[in-house]
Amino acid sequence: MQTENGSESPALQMKMLLEALPKESATDPTGIRLARLINRISRQKVPVSSFSRFWILGSLQAKVTLGYFAYWLRSRFVDADEKGRLKSEAHLAAALQLFGTMGYLRGAVMKVGQLLANLPEVVPEEFAEVLSALHFEAPPMHYALVREVFLDEFGREPEEVFASFDRQAFAAASLGQVHRARLHSGEEVAVKIQYPGIARTIKADLRNLRVLLQPLCLTRDWQNTLDKLADLEQMLLMETDYEQEARFGKDARLFFTVDDRVVVPRVYDDYSTKRVLTTEYLRGCHLDEFLAGNPSQKERDQFTTLLIVATFRLYYRLHWFLADPHPGNFIFMEDGRLGMIDFGCTRVMTDEEWLLISELERATLERDEASFKRVTAKACLFNDPEEMEPERLEILLRGVHWNMEPWLKDGLFDFGDREFFMRGIDSLMEMTRKRYTRGSPLYLWSNRFIFGGRAICYRMKGRCEVKNISTRESAWHDADYV
Amino acid sequence: MRISEQAKLDSRARILEKAAELFIGKGFEDTTTRDIALAAGLAAGTMFNYFPSKETLAMTMVTEALGQGMEDFRRRRTGEEELTEELFLFIASGLRRLRQLRPFLGPVLERSLSPFPRKSVCHEGEAARLGHLAVVQEIIGRHGFTAAPDYVAMTIYWSLYLGILAFWTNDESPNQEESRGLIDYSLRCFVQVISGTIAERGAAHAN
Repeated sequence: MQTENGSESPALQMKMLLEALPKESATDPTGIRLARLINRISRQKVPVSSFSRFWILGSLQAKVTLGYFAYWLRSRFVDADEKGRLKSEAHLAAALQLFGTMGYLRGAVMKVGQLLANLPEVVPEEFAEVLSALHFEAPPMHYALVREVFLDEFGREPEEVFASFDRQAFAAASLGQVHRARLHSGEEVAVKIQYPGIARTIKADLRNLRVLLQPLCLTRDWQNTLDKLADLEQMLLMETDYEQEARFGKDARLFFTVDDRVVVPRVYDDYSTKRVLTTEYLRGCHLDEFLAGNPSQKERDQFTTLLIVATFRLYYRLHWFLADPHPGNFIFMEDGRLGMIDFGCTRVMTDEEWLLISELERATLERDEASFKRVTAKACLFNDPEEMEPERLEILLRGVHWNMEPWLKDGLFDFGDREFFMRGIDSLMEMTRKRYTRGSPLYLWSNRFIFGGRAICYRMKGRCEVKNISTRESAWHDADYV
Repeated sequence: MRISEQAKLDSRARILEKAAELFIGKGFEDTTTRDIALAAGLAAGTMFNYFPSKETLAMTMVTEALGQGMEDFRRRRTGEEELTEELFLFIASGLRRLRQLRPFLGPVLERSLSPFPRKSVCHEGEAARLGHLAVVQEIIGRHGFTAAPDYVAMTIYWSLYLGILAFWTNDESPNQEESRGLIDYSLRCFVQVISGTIAERGAAHAN
C-alpha cells in the first residue's frame, strides 16, 4: 500500500480505497457508501494549526484509517437502542469531522489503529506495512523554535549545551523530533525535543473523543470504553514526560550485558529534562534499509532472535509491554547488534495483571484447557467462561491461542509464515467485527505489543526458538523473584 | 544646585525598579503614581519630571525590554534562518525579555499599543511600533524582497503581532508554550501573504 497517492487519478484512488476499506455485508456489501463518505470528508477543509497538522487526510493511508474508524463507530451503534443510535450517515459524517479537527489523536488513532479503528482487510504484506506506518509524523519544528525550548529547559542555547548540534532533525519521533549532537566530552548523542503544547492537545483531543462517542453511552460496554480511554489518556500523557521515559530507558539498560548483543542507549541526565531527552546515538539502520540490503536468512534469524530476547526479557523481568513496537524503535546495528531506542510507550503491568497473564502462560504450556478458558474469561471481564456467549468464547479462545502459539513450538518458530500471521489478523478482525472487544485496558497495549512485534518479525521473515527463549527468560523469574 | 547626570540616571532607574515591583505586586491599575514616588523616595512632582504618566513609565519598561530583545535577536541570528524562522527568532527574543513584565503587561499594552484612534497617542508605544516594524522590514529585505511591503501587508503583520501579544500575556501554559504554536502559525500566514504563494498548496487538505 502506498501512503501518498498524489499522482493517481481519482478513479484509481477510489478503486484502491474500495479494495482496502472494510465491507459491511448487510448495508454496504461493496463498501462504496463508506468509500464515498470518506472521500467527501477528506475533501472538507478543517482549520488546523501548524502543530496539529499531524495527519494528512488526503493520503490513501489516512483515508483507510478514517474508513476503519467510521466502520468501527458505525458498528458500535448497532448495539444501541433506537434513542441512542446515530440516526443517519450525517451524524457519522459530523463525528468524523470532529475527528478531523483533533490535533494529536488522529495520529494516535493510527498508532492504536489496530484496536480503535479495526484492521485493514488487506493481504499480510501490506498489513505489516500499515502497522509500521502506525506512528504519526508531525511537521518539523524549525531551529528557532528548538532554541526557545532549550532556553526554557536549560537556560542556554543548544550550541552552548553541546559541543555541536545539528540544526536539522534527523528523525521524527512520537511527540517530537530528534537531532544529532556531540557532547563536550566527545560522545555522539541523539537529542529528542518535544513539540510545545502537545500534552494539552492530547487532553483536548480525548475530551473531544468522549463527546464523539457519547451516543454509545447506553450500550452495555460503555464503562469499559471509558476505562480504555482513561488508560489511553494516561499512557499518552506519560509519553509526554521524557523524564519518565529516561527512567524506563535506564531500568531497561540494566538488564542487558555485552553478551546479549542488545543495546539500550545510555541516558545523559545532565542533558535531559521533561521535554528534552538526550541519549547515546546508535549507528545503524532501520528495518526498511536492513531489508533493502537483502539480508541472508541467518541475519534475519539473528535479528529476530535478538528482538524476541529483548522484548521477552523486559516482559518477564520488569513485567513490561513495549507498547509501541514500530520499526523506527529498533536499530539494526552494523556489527549485528540490535538497538532499542524508545521507551516512551511502556505499559507496566500491575501485580494482579501479571499473575493473570502468568497463569495463562502456565495453562498454555501445561495444556490445561479449563484454566485457559477461565483466564481468558477473566481477561474479558467475565467471572466465568459460562457467562460468555459460546461464540464470544470461541472467538476469544482462538485469538488467545494464536497469541500463545509460538510458546508451544519446539525448535525454530517461523514468524515469516504467512498463514500464521494471517490467522492472527483474521481472529482479531473477527473479534472486532462481532464487537467482542470488552476487556481489561491492558489488552489495548498487549495487542499492540504482540501485533506490532509480530508484524516486524513477519516482514523480516525471521525465525527463532521462541520456546527456548521464553523458558530461559522466564526461568530467571522462577529462580530469583519472590 | 544642579543634580548630576549620574544622579538623574540613578533616580530614573530607581523609579523604574520600584514601579515594576509595585505593578507586579499590586497590579498596574491599582498602583498610583503617588505609590511609585513614595517607594522611590521622591516627591510626586519630581517624579513627573522623569515620567509624565504611569503609562509612559510602564511603556518605557516595555521599550527597554524590547530593545534588549532586539539586541539578543541580532546576536542570536546566524544568517541561515529562513524568513519565517528569522521573524520567529525576532519575536521570541523580544517576548523572552518581556517575560518578567508579563504579570502587568495586559492593560499597559492595551493602552499604549491600541490600534484604534485615540485622543492622546502614547509616544513610547508609537515608537515601539515603528521600531519593531523597521526590524521586520529589515528582515524581509534580507530574504530577497526588493521593495518594502505596502501598508496592507504591514497592517496585517501588526494585527498578527498584537494578537500574539494579547494571547501571550494571557497564556497560562508552561513557559507560554501555547503561544509558540500561535507565533509560528501567524508568521507562516504572513509570509504566505507577502510571498503571494500558498507554499503548501493546501496540502493538508489535499483532494
